[in-house]
Amino acid sequence: MKRSLFGRLWPNVTAVILFVGFVFPVYWMFATALKPTGDIISEDPVWFPTDITFEHFQRATGVDHFWTYVSNSLIVTVCAVAFALVIALAGAFALARMRFKGRRGFVIGFMLAQMAPWEVMIIAMYMIVRDASMLNSLLPLTVFYMMMILPFTILTLRGFVAAVPRELEEAAMVDGCTRSQAFLKVILPLLAPGLMSTSLFGFITAWNEFPLVLVLNKEAESQTLPLWLSSFQTAFGNDWGATMAASSLFAVPILILFVFLQRRAVSGLTAGAVKG
Amino acid sequence: MKRRLISAIGVAGMMISLAACGGDNGDGDGKAGADGYAGQTLTVWVMDGSSPDQWQKDVAAAFEKKTKAKVKFQIQQWNGIQQKLTTALSEENPPDVFEIGNTQTPAYAKTGGLADLADLKSEIGGEWTASLNESSIFEGKQYAAPWYFANRVVLYNKKVWADAGIKDTPKTRDEFYADLKQIGEKTDAEPIYLPGQNWYHFVGLTIGEGVQLVKEQDGKYVSNLADPKVAAAMETYKKFQALSKAPKDKDEATPQQGEVFGKGNVGAFIGMGWEAGIAIKANPKIEKEIGYFTIPGATADKPEGVFLGGSNLAVAAGSKKQELAKEFLKIALSDTYEGELAKLNGVIPNKEALQSNLKGNEVAEAAAPAAAGGGTTPLIPEWAAVENAPNPVKTYMTAVLNGKSPAAAAKQVEDEFNKRLAQQQ
Amino acid sequence: MTVQTERPPSGPVDVAKTTPGRSGGGRPATGKRPGALVPYLLLLPACAATVLLLGWPLLKDVLLSFQNLNMAQLIQHVTEWNGVENYRQVLTGEDFWRVTLRSILFTAVNVVLIMVAGTLIGLLLARLGKRMRITLMMGLVLAWAMPVVAASTVYQWLFAQRFGVVNWVLDKLGWHSMADYSWTSSQMSTFFVVTLLIVWMSIPFVAINLYAATTTIPSELYEAASLDGAGVWKSFTTVTMPFLRPFLYATTFLEVIWVFKAFVQVFTINGGGPDRLTEILPVYAYIEGVGNQHYGMGAAIAVLTILILLGLTAYYLRIVLKQEEDEL
Repeated sequence: MKRSLFGRLWPNVTAVILFVGFVFPVYWMFATALKPTGDIISEDPVWFPTDITFEHFQRATGVDHFWTYVSNSLIVTVCAVAFALVIALAGAFALARMRFKGRRGFVIGFMLAQMAPWEVMIIAMYMIVRDASMLNSLLPLTVFYMMMILPFTILTLRGFVAAVPRELEEAAMVDGCTRSQAFLKVILPLLAPGLMSTSLFGFITAWNEFPLVLVLNKEAESQTLPLWLSSFQTAFGNDWGATMAASSLFAVPILILFVFLQRRAVSGLTAGAVKG
Repeated sequence: MKRRLISAIGVAGMMISLAACGGDNGDGDGKAGADGYAGQTLTVWVMDGSSPDQWQKDVAAAFEKKTKAKVKFQIQQWNGIQQKLTTALSEENPPDVFEIGNTQTPAYAKTGGLADLADLKSEIGGEWTASLNESSIFEGKQYAAPWYFANRVVLYNKKVWADAGIKDTPKTRDEFYADLKQIGEKTDAEPIYLPGQNWYHFVGLTIGEGVQLVKEQDGKYVSNLADPKVAAAMETYKKFQALSKAPKDKDEATPQQGEVFGKGNVGAFIGMGWEAGIAIKANPKIEKEIGYFTIPGATADKPEGVFLGGSNLAVAAGSKKQELAKEFLKIALSDTYEGELAKLNGVIPNKEALQSNLKGNEVAEAAAPAAAGGGTTPLIPEWAAVENAPNPVKTYMTAVLNGKSPAAAAKQVEDEFNKRLAQQQ
Repeated sequence: MTVQTERPPSGPVDVAKTTPGRSGGGRPATGKRPGALVPYLLLLPACAATVLLLGWPLLKDVLLSFQNLNMAQLIQHVTEWNGVENYRQVLTGEDFWRVTLRSILFTAVNVVLIMVAGTLIGLLLARLGKRMRITLMMGLVLAWAMPVVAASTVYQWLFAQRFGVVNWVLDKLGWHSMADYSWTSSQMSTFFVVTLLIVWMSIPFVAINLYAATTTIPSELYEAASLDGAGVWKSFTTVTMPFLRPFLYATTFLEVIWVFKAFVQVFTINGGGPDRLTEILPVYAYIEGVGNQHYGMGAAIAVLTILILLGLTAYYLRIVLKQEEDEL
């Protein structure tokens, strides 16, 4: 099938326009963060920062407790994702590979759980944590974040597990492995891409969460980065340089993670994400 | 289980649970041991910008010297403070002492979250100015201690005014407007930075018109925004706001107007004296350019009405360090430190006798003439709900500034306003 | 589940093809006596977590919705039951129904935009040459990976009244009244910004996954279709669409959930303003409950919000229910 010049051109032109549209906000965030203030509040935008400055980053990171927020965010996010993956993997394996009474109920149950609008239940969660005397601690945050991502993780992993050929498992068992050995030695390695791509969603969710931490943790020592970022609007006024520097710093870990895991995520998600 | 029982007994149960709380406090660690209160730390919430670092440092030193305990100041933002304070007061470890706005005090007094300070009042409060202490008293009991009071002034950039060829500060509202106009014509500066929702200034204007934002009707409080005098106040606001490029749907804290002013290209803004500090922090070079004058009223003999803002210091009823908290109040509100705060921030102290600290203070001298005609929003517990975002008064202001007639805007927000005033407590 | 028709391109496709999840009919390893409890044990942690961490707050929320819980009650830990009073007030007031309608419209508009644009971009990806495809994919991934808090901050800056780049561009394009336009000043302009933000962040998920799904369509199907004389459009409707349908269902379901719950975007851009005109249900529940310190009322709205979301997704849940049944 031959295509006309127009037929070959328009997809590429559209793609370029789309590329610019999708990248521009991200670009503008970094560009603003690196520009001197005079270039940020100028009547005509400076499209390409020429004299690069790091003063905004210094201001954004110079806030009290900045490194506490960073480490809290990392601890909470990594732990929540790790717990969710382990718990979900066990459940997903059962749902994908075994037959038992009530399987359908479990699947529907997790789909319902996935719909939970957490933001509206904050006061209930607050009162539970308060009455358990666990305010200003990272533990409730971790377990609640874990729960926020657990249903999606189970349903997604179920797809990945189902996609691993049963024959491989059986072959391993013929070779004398027990079922759990077969799982560890054969299935788990094949699931690695799936685990990675599923974890991306968890990372984003846990990294972003702020309504809950806002009410649970009033002490700076137990707060996380989203609060730091959202406080910029008031604390720094219309200092867009520092605000964008903070946004950049906040986004960079996730951006790196995505670009790094992107290929695997994409290949895996076909099997996985749509299982929701 | 215990809680369910309480609910069953109802009001009587409430009293019991309160008494139980009181009992808990006694045997806590709030008592002075042989070594004073050594090893303890008192948590104090103060609002952003209200007390200078120097003051905090001095008070902390004096407090530690006297009690051997430490004090930890935690700076809070006004934005969302009620939500934060309410939950904090319900917790096991609430802030022991906290600053609370005078208009919000009655509502919190009513919740039972504030400790009774009757003994403190009799010990150190004999000379407290009665009118300033009014907001701390609820149903005859002293629930907070008056800390400081202030009203807004005009902060202006001397250089911009000189550039525009203006020699004297204005004495009437019309002169003020004419001066600002002249700045707009003769310089590239923005004449005044006045965001659409500086509602404290608007309240001041209504006080100047001699009218309140709420009225009593059949024993209930309802919106009074439809009053023609409120409309007149809003028209004044609108006239000045038209000279500003500031957003019509933002208040004076987003962004901090002091920061905008600090950039040096704004003629004036209406704010608290200490907001100059924010400008100076943003741009130290601005310091020598900042001047202050009383907000001019309709005639030269009577300055504009102002909102008499103020803060009280309260002790959480749930604090386990009641005694220590009172020790702190005794120091913070002592003549030395109350006087220091007045001097540093140019705010009105809680005693007449301490007013001498304001002598020669530019801010205080600009603020003082208007203070006599100042007022507050009604000091009723129903009021606090009105201030929760989205504040209907702010909505009203933005609507008028965007072209609605004051009457139509009043009608638009009335339901919401009344709903909040009638909100079940 | 029909969505299992998709297989990962990374996996050994030809093997996978023969194992659509139900091949091992009567194998002894599954579900026999000694292992009968195994699936339940494997699911136990997940279920325990769900009951404890989701079920408990949910139950608590339902209980709160029957209480008069305001500042005083919260501070003093007092429980005051007031029956269905909260529900009566919410359901008889105009606000709730207005917000509900707005939420549903908002969700519908966003999901339609996301699905249509996402599908088109996904199909475009399939048509592009390799280099161009990877470029566009990188762009999509960057937008996808932007954390929502950072993204909404960036959008506020793009649409800032002063020095915002969008206003500058519109001004230069000849639309001078937009030079100092405040995007947060009206309901529609606020929704425009929020919608743009949500659509921008959500398209990549749909587009990239849809593209990946098209790569798994066996090429024999197209060959067969073209042998039957099908044109481009015909083979699209007879081969591509049927293959993608389950995928589209599942993605739409996810997007409905995510858009309906778009609390952070709406709240950070304009706090539900101006004049409460852009509040969607979760924001409304938050402002009435936490913001207005009317916690019992907020809990009642929360319960109603959950019920409405269930209603919106009921259709899809029914499909799933049927499919799972067929499979067993």
